[in-house]
Amino acid sequence: MNIKQLHIKRKAYLWLIAGSSLLQPQLAAANGRATGGYLEAGQVNTVPLADCLRELAAKAQKRLVYDSRLLEGKRITPPAAEMPAEQALMETLSRAGIAYQLKGSMVILRAETRAEASATARQTVIRGTVTDSLTGEPIAGATVRTDGSMAAVKTGNGGSFSLPWPGTASAATLTVSSVGYRTYSARVTPGTADGLAIALQQDLFGLDEVVVTGQGLDISKRRLSTNVTSISGAELEKVPAGRIDQLLQAKLPNAQIRLTGGQSGATSIIRARGVVSAFMNSTPVIYVDGVRMDNLNTPSTIGGGSTQGAGVSSIADIPMDNIERIEYINGGAATTLYGSDAANGVIQIFTKKGGADRTSVTAEATVGREAATTDFLHFERTKDLLFEPGTYQKYNVAINGASGRIGYSFTGGYLNSTGVQLFKQNANKRLDLRSGFRADLHEKLVYESSFSFVNNQYKRNRNGNQGGYTGLWFAESGASAVTGPQPRFNPRIDELSEEEFARMREYVREAERLQDNEIVVNRFQTSQSFQYKPLENLQLKALGGLDFRVLRNQNIQTNEYLTHTTGNLTTDRGSISNGERKYWGLTLELNGQHRAEVGDFSFVTTVGGQLFRNEDRQVAYNGTNIRDGARNIADAATKTSNEVYYEVVNYGVYVQSNIGWKNRLFMDLGLRGDGNSAFGEAIGVQYYPKVGLSYIPSATEWWADALPFIASAKVRGNYGVAGNFPTPFMNLRTVSFPGYLGEQAASFGTPGVDLRPEKTKTLEAGVDLGFWRDRVRLSAGMYHTITDDALFSVPSAPSTGEAEAFRNVGKILNRGWEFSTNIAAIQKASTSLNVNLAVNTLYNRVLDAGGAAPFNINGFSERTIQTVVQEGYPIGFIRASYGVFGPDGVLESTTPLQYLGTTIPDLFGSMGIDFRYKGLNIYVNADYQQGAYANNWDSQFRYNYGAGDEGIPQGEINSPRGRAGWLEFTNMFIEKTDFIKVRSIGATYSFTAAELRNRLQGVTVGISAINPLNFASSSFDPEATISGSAAGQGGATTGGIAYATYSAPRQFLLSVRITL
Amino acid sequence: MNQQMKTFKKAYLAGLIALTAASCELTEVTNPYVTEDRFLNTPQAAITWLNGVRRQASTTVGTVVEFTELVSDNYFNNYTQSSKVFDIPQINHYDVDVTRIQSAIHKLMEMSEFGLTEVLSADAESTPLQRAELLLYKAYAQLLGADLYVGLPTEPLGPVKTPAELLTGAIALLTEAQDIFQDPDDKRICALLMGRAYHRLGDATQAVTRAQEALANPLLLRQVKYGTQTGPSNNFQSAIFSSNTNSFAPLPRLDFLDPKYFHTTAVVFEDEKPIAIAKAEEAYLIIAEAQIAANQLTQARQTLHSLLTETVAARPVVMIDDSRETRNGGNRDDYPLTEVQVRFDADDQPRSGYVLDRQQGNIPAYTVSGTRVTGEDINAAADADGLLYLVYRLRQELFIAEGRRMTDLGIRFPVSQQEELSNANVGSAHTQPVLPAFIPGDRAMDDFTHDTATGTVTMRYDMNKVLIENKTDETIIPFIN
Repeated sequence: MNIKQLHIKRKAYLWLIAGSSLLQPQLAAANGRATGGYLEAGQVNTVPLADCLRELAAKAQKRLVYDSRLLEGKRITPPAAEMPAEQALMETLSRAGIAYQLKGSMVILRAETRAEASATARQTVIRGTVTDSLTGEPIAGATVRTDGSMAAVKTGNGGSFSLPWPGTASAATLTVSSVGYRTYSARVTPGTADGLAIALQQDLFGLDEVVVTGQGLDISKRRLSTNVTSISGAELEKVPAGRIDQLLQAKLPNAQIRLTGGQSGATSIIRARGVVSAFMNSTPVIYVDGVRMDNLNTPSTIGGGSTQGAGVSSIADIPMDNIERIEYINGGAATTLYGSDAANGVIQIFTKKGGADRTSVTAEATVGREAATTDFLHFERTKDLLFEPGTYQKYNVAINGASGRIGYSFTGGYLNSTGVQLFKQNANKRLDLRSGFRADLHEKLVYESSFSFVNNQYKRNRNGNQGGYTGLWFAESGASAVTGPQPRFNPRIDELSEEEFARMREYVREAERLQDNEIVVNRFQTSQSFQYKPLENLQLKALGGLDFRVLRNQNIQTNEYLTHTTGNLTTDRGSISNGERKYWGLTLELNGQHRAEVGDFSFVTTVGGQLFRNEDRQVAYNGTNIRDGARNIADAATKTSNEVYYEVVNYGVYVQSNIGWKNRLFMDLGLRGDGNSAFGEAIGVQYYPKVGLSYIPSATEWWADALPFIASAKVRGNYGVAGNFPTPFMNLRTVSFPGYLGEQAASFGTPGVDLRPEKTKTLEAGVDLGFWRDRVRLSAGMYHTITDDALFSVPSAPSTGEAEAFRNVGKILNRGWEFSTNIAAIQKASTSLNVNLAVNTLYNRVLDAGGAAPFNINGFSERTIQTVVQEGYPIGFIRASYGVFGPDGVLESTTPLQYLGTTIPDLFGSMGIDFRYKGLNIYVNADYQQGAYANNWDSQFRYNYGAGDEGIPQGEINSPRGRAGWLEFTNMFIEKTDFIKVRSIGATYSFTAAELRNRLQGVTVGISAINPLNFASSSFDPEATISGSAAGQGGATTGGIAYATYSAPRQFLLSVRITL
Repeated sequence: MNQQMKTFKKAYLAGLIALTAASCELTEVTNPYVTEDRFLNTPQAAITWLNGVRRQASTTVGTVVEFTELVSDNYFNNYTQSSKVFDIPQINHYDVDVTRIQSAIHKLMEMSEFGLTEVLSADAESTPLQRAELLLYKAYAQLLGADLYVGLPTEPLGPVKTPAELLTGAIALLTEAQDIFQDPDDKRICALLMGRAYHRLGDATQAVTRAQEALANPLLLRQVKYGTQTGPSNNFQSAIFSSNTNSFAPLPRLDFLDPKYFHTTAVVFEDEKPIAIAKAEEAYLIIAEAQIAANQLTQARQTLHSLLTETVAARPVVMIDDSRETRNGGNRDDYPLTEVQVRFDADDQPRSGYVLDRQQGNIPAYTVSGTRVTGEDINAAADADGLLYLVYRLRQELFIAEGRRMTDLGIRFPVSQQEELSNANVGSAHTQPVLPAFIPGDRAMDDFTHDTATGTVTMRYDMNKVLIENKTDETIIPFIN
């Protein structure tokens, strides 16, 4: 390549970076090579080819005639000893790619012609085993591929693999990769393709790990200026978990995952870099095999459970078996390519689509006991009143294998948890079926698909702010003083006589027994993709898929239940309320990636287009005045229905170029343009740019001499924009039709405001260091995020007569530091000890509310308790009355609507220990937070109902007001919610095939305790806070109000995994 | 390149084209809502809009009644739902319920205005009667604004009009409506509402003239309606009768008037009672107050007798089963469910028949008007104050659960904070409520003691007595001031 050519290429790239919107880059072919150095393939039991042939010829009584240069330097694995000598000779020649002619006892050798060589190559198979260089243990599930082909295989349980020789090439680069290991590359020829013994080195720092999230297609982490967290399937398999967010709890160093209640299927609060929106829930976007999942993590408008009690999360039924790996990015420039709704980050789940030649069958059984977490109960007797121990069972069978060019993967799972509430009112049953396929249709074309079906059923008892009787409100909030049987109970239930308590228990048991609420989810999803590599340096991918989820929520209130709980004989108010939500989401994506090297420069350019549309139709059909025993509304005296419909489409085109210099300095440039049906007419295309720099100083020559104790170092910084789009059709000026006495009636609908996405702009910088051969890794970074055009629910001035509407008026700041460290304290062949700790700080403020009045995102009315969005304060702070008591203990003054504390922690993180000794693995995972507050609404009710004095001065209680001032000093009921929660403690022991005398491929037995330990500064469970109400479906929430909500139960589980 | 590759390339290209073509359709979405333009350009816009305004009138009245009855001494909120502070009474301009009531009034006003200016002209089939009805509702909204607030704008983000300006505006609108209406009762309703406005303005001459005009029909009655599955529903009925918790409890001495609204069908919405917004009773009371102010006590007595005999006695009374009433809320120890005597305050003699035993059988319910004021009481009232006391007691009893008592007590809501934040015309004076000094706080208006030995409930305050004692306060009893 001459200078002129080089110049033209650079120009071409500059032009591309400047903002090409071409879908298909017409780039000149360049001879790209994979990054990273080549290593020599390790060979086992090979001998010089010439020696081998001479020996075989002698045995077969043949004479070899050849040019000595023909065999020079070649080595080969000798054929099996039992093979007849002449056959062995011919087979060896064939394997070695040597053509021959037989003339009597003479064998004339010559180099193969091209045609002959390709014929040989077609018969050649690359075989070998992959092991961990340190422990010598085989590595299962590693990906093996060659550069000339799209074909790839996985290693089996013994680490072995076999891969067809790619095309007609006379040599190929073999690449072996596995999460947590350095990618291995080596040249192989047909003659050296057999018997490969590949030892992968553990990659503690992960510079060359390949990721796709945020990048369109594969790219190594080295080149990225952003953090991508990847978790391997093996890591995920360790902890038994019922749902994907629980599985990731304490696993993502820079994100916090909190379940908002202990009932199965409860919503969770997931957030990373603060709360970037007061409009949209902070749950990240979730993809499974590249297809967008319904990630609704709040109650839906219809049928999603009670708004402030039993909200149901769509995340609870995302398939989670047979996962190959998970990647997570937490917003900012990393998510720019995802455009208009990725400001909260992206979780990508990749499932297995095949295994090794030898089909492996893995069967797993997990059984155990569930116990209520009673740490946070106020009264001793509540435990006896509301809970009973439960059982947990989970069974799973996974089949992974490959046959020729087809890889396949099947999983079936069944979960049955009885829950810990009386009469199994919180039982959960779940069925999972999943298949994955991979077909190497052609050496340059791969097809992958996955299908899954989940059936999930929950029982639900009443909790939170559901009105009427709820067990926790009755017992823990002191409501037994004002409701229930006459005469009322003393709400201080620990003081009740045995006789009285028996009467209460009888009442409560009946009230619990008579509840009949059930949620059933059926979910189907599929992903179909083609990857095509028309040229050595050009890769194209087309992907399509869908997620279809149907939820039915049925609440039956019998007359018997109403009579029992209200004390009024009820015969005509029995009701059945059904809510159904059908979600249908389609994802289409087409992208291409081009790689080029020009001198010291390398370019990875990605261009793509993405379309995502979903329909969300919700229907309520209710029957009232229904006879007890009837289970469908056909038998109701009156029936009503309701419907809501949301449909939205988002489509975007993106271009990105990653430019590297000498494999150590990288610049990342990207731009996405989005159209969206939810934008107002005047808004048009929205652009999301990003720019980033990554520098690897440890790749320079002087580094190793100057700083020998720092093995790896990376400095990174970037700026990027991501968005959140508004609710569909809220930009239109509409008329609503509420009906008037059976006639059509019209009223003002939405006021009509042009809406555009919120734009979250993040500036971040960080450094990643690996000390002492990477055994101590430290990552430190800071981010500064501003959300412009934040959508605030702006209450209209009453005089306009208009409804409250979202408007792009807000500005939100989030900033913080992110630290994480991993320490390999012991790293020996048989023993290892790893410790990890993540520390994140967070500062959140609403910088500007555009003059809008404060609005609440959670809680009740202004005069009670709310979590509010207001200029100058963190999102979702607690706002209620602040009271001051005089020296006599009587309330002296009270000021309503005061700031009583933030609900967002300013410090949070996770930690873990993982110890391995031979087959034994012991682990502990925990997470923590500090600096957030919550209101103990249960306590406030206890005070109101006389169930406790709750630290309120006696002077006030004895004052003429009595307990009537319970809302005047809510500051007395605010508690710090610092906590450390140990999410799991467990141990596994894995028997190797050898230990099992090769009768089985492997057996792993494990014991674990889920949610075993809680340390909290609050008297209530800091996680179990009602989540989201005022903001509606998908609305922002920060928790902050503890009210009649169950804690997640403890589980003590025993598991056995057998691999055949 | 081999044949297979070529085939695939073609397929890929075809797929790409197909995807691009299909994506046009893929970006289209279905809008399930009716836009304003579309609505105005389709038939029967006027009648549909008028129905919407009628619905809004029901909703607005429902909201006003729910909250103002709590502010007054009429009802007490014995549960945690609805306002927890209006009973004190504590009224702040940032209170969501202050905003809610203001919004409900403005929505009625703005919907009427939109109907008058946009919908009628867009619909060729619109009629003058529709115009008259829209004028009536707009006037009624302004009347509510004047009665309940320290002042309100009459247009989006407009200047805050004083109650007097609002009343004058309402009178103008009602005059216009009265001219258009054909039905004599419709014209009388306009007259009665004008009488109410003049009463509040303190113009006795005009008020009496209009009241007399209205009394051409002594059973004149205009109500807003509720019912059907899709509403509007009478929330106050739910709070005093239909809901399982039966959360609002009347003042013990008004117990006999509860429930004014109730259902007798199995399904609540099939029997939701209407709420009166104008009725002949008010005409008598306006005239009587004017007569007392002019010291025409004999005439005043006669007017009150006529009120009882010609109107109240002719209003419907229904016997209902109210045995489900348990008053079992958590906010106070309530008065007994058995029949007890009541003293209006500590100086009063125990009186019977005010607290009913609802377990003993059906009780009478007064859906329009009921009172325990008798002809003897009227005759016994010796002086102007005695008669004025009866006028205000009658106003309280006849108008109970109609949202009128708070105004009679001289209490006014401030302009809400949400208005203040967006509307530069709102000054700090507008954000202060009017709570006359004679209004006791700390829930004392709803307070009473129960002497279990004598079985007597004693009210802490007789607020009608308090009103008469403070009759010169400019916030109350317009004709005296």
